[in-house]
Amino acid sequence: MLRGPGEGTIVLVETKNLTKVFGEVRAVDDLTVAIPEGAIGLVGPNGAGKTTFLRLLLSLLQPTAGTAKVLGRDILDGVPLRERIGYMPEHDCLIPDMTGVGLVAFMGRVSGLDADSAIGRAHDVLQFVGVEEERYRKVAEYSTGMKQKVKLAQSMVHDPQLYIFDEPTTGLDPRGRTEMLDLVRAIASSPGRNVILSSHLLPDVETICKYVVILDGGHQIAAGDLHDLLTGAADRLRIDIRGDHEAFAQRLRETGFEAEAGPTGVHVGRRPGVEAEVFQAARALGAEVRYMGREIRSLEEFFLELVARNEGKGA
Amino acid sequence: MSISLPTYTRREMPLLGRRHRVRAIITTGLRREFKRPAVLVVIGIGVGVTIITSIVVVLFAGVFLQGQPLDLSFFFTPASNGAILFFVTLMASVVGSALIADDLQSMALTLYLSRPITEGDYLAAKAAILAPMISMIAVFPLVLTPLVAALLGSFSWTIALEAIGLSFLIGSLFTAFYTAATLALSSLTRRKSYAAAGVFALTFGLTIPAEILAGPPFNNPAVLYASPWENYLAVARAAFGATGAPIDWRWSLAILLAATAIAALATYLRMKFVEVVSG
Repeated sequence: MLRGPGEGTIVLVETKNLTKVFGEVRAVDDLTVAIPEGAIGLVGPNGAGKTTFLRLLLSLLQPTAGTAKVLGRDILDGVPLRERIGYMPEHDCLIPDMTGVGLVAFMGRVSGLDADSAIGRAHDVLQFVGVEEERYRKVAEYSTGMKQKVKLAQSMVHDPQLYIFDEPTTGLDPRGRTEMLDLVRAIASSPGRNVILSSHLLPDVETICKYVVILDGGHQIAAGDLHDLLTGAADRLRIDIRGDHEAFAQRLRETGFEAEAGPTGVHVGRRPGVEAEVFQAARALGAEVRYMGREIRSLEEFFLELVARNEGKGA
Repeated sequence: MSISLPTYTRREMPLLGRRHRVRAIITTGLRREFKRPAVLVVIGIGVGVTIITSIVVVLFAGVFLQGQPLDLSFFFTPASNGAILFFVTLMASVVGSALIADDLQSMALTLYLSRPITEGDYLAAKAAILAPMISMIAVFPLVLTPLVAALLGSFSWTIALEAIGLSFLIGSLFTAFYTAATLALSSLTRRKSYAAAGVFALTFGLTIPAEILAGPPFNNPAVLYASPWENYLAVARAAFGATGAPIDWRWSLAILLAATAIAALATYLRMKFVEVVSG
């Protein structure tokens, strides 16, 4: 794997001006990103280009322009690259007339394991994901939750360095979702394994990933350490008030502060005297200050803010 | 549910090469096909009927073919057995039509192509599943017939061995054409029934009209080039030295080879771009 320039971190995925165009649609548009190893979240609304980006990384699609490296290998390398990747697609993709263990072992052999290793590992990974005696039943008879677990197991069977999970909790009930997230977390926390978790369910990403890449309309709109992104800049305050956000921001602007109203509250530049001015404004407007401090938001709040900002730029 | 890591430890083990991976797809695919009752029925009846009719022709050659010399040209008779056409078509539609269509329907194609194999590997494996099935009807009975004929003493071993070689070649040509054409049709649809209908249409939809238009009152033998079966017969007739060919075997051979190559190329290109469509 590559070392990041001037950093001690190892680069898992590195893209430079990566672009994929389907006709008129720029599914991935000029994406330049360096993703460190570990558990990575890939988030974005539907149609953001997440699945296209993952398929480019897997070399299932050829880029229209730009370059990308995964685990230090060019994505055009294809076969040798995929030996080191385990992919769990979003959609149902299992072979219905095979048994769970038969399918997982088969996928192990197609990945290059010999027959004995493949069957041994198939049992191991099915045990890990919690498919017990059902493993001898045909996949067609499985529930959605079991199918998801078998999809997870087949991505693990050849013990890759990088796991790519595309919406792994799709269609699962709350219990199944918790189980699946526990499994993904267990994989992500084990040494030598890296996870790219693509999801539009932001709490899933927030609980597992340390680093996040946010896409919208094929563009990267944010990328970075999740903690840093969510805690925001130290020179800005977030004020959560009960009252009219816009009027509050306007009042602060009139007194010389840089303030803007957003869906998550009022954001204001930190300067001496700002706290006193906030309380004066609240008194004047009859608003109630519920929180004032460094920006701490959920991924969902951050995401909505970014998407709103991005739409504003587009308009 | 057990939340514990698998019992194996993570290690960089050398994976076996692509040939092994393709072989894994072939062996698993053949095993799956041999578990399907429809496939077993077609194999049983198809191989049985073609072999029995061919051997009956050998046993009663002197009676059926009075006046005809028992030389190499005799083996055109079993090669032109209409049962071959019918059962090859049936086998191609029962086995071949589902080979790619089912993977498209279940979206298992994504699973295959996300593994360390190429689209070409995938197609080669699918072809290697279908081709032996078709050859059981298109090659095996043709090769067996001269062998039995020589063992019965009806023909000299020199003629029989030559007939075995030629039977293998023309049977393989027919097998290659039907394998490529069937996989091309299977790659075009998610519904295997459509692909199966396409195989029947390719065979009988071209052969029957061509034979009608070639005969009286139309008398237009050139339309026989449109029929894969008539092209096969023209090549077989030339190979065994039989007379009475209504069309030129060279053109027929060229058409069969070109159609096989075009079908294979079209299927490969479809595989290269199908992932975009299915995503």
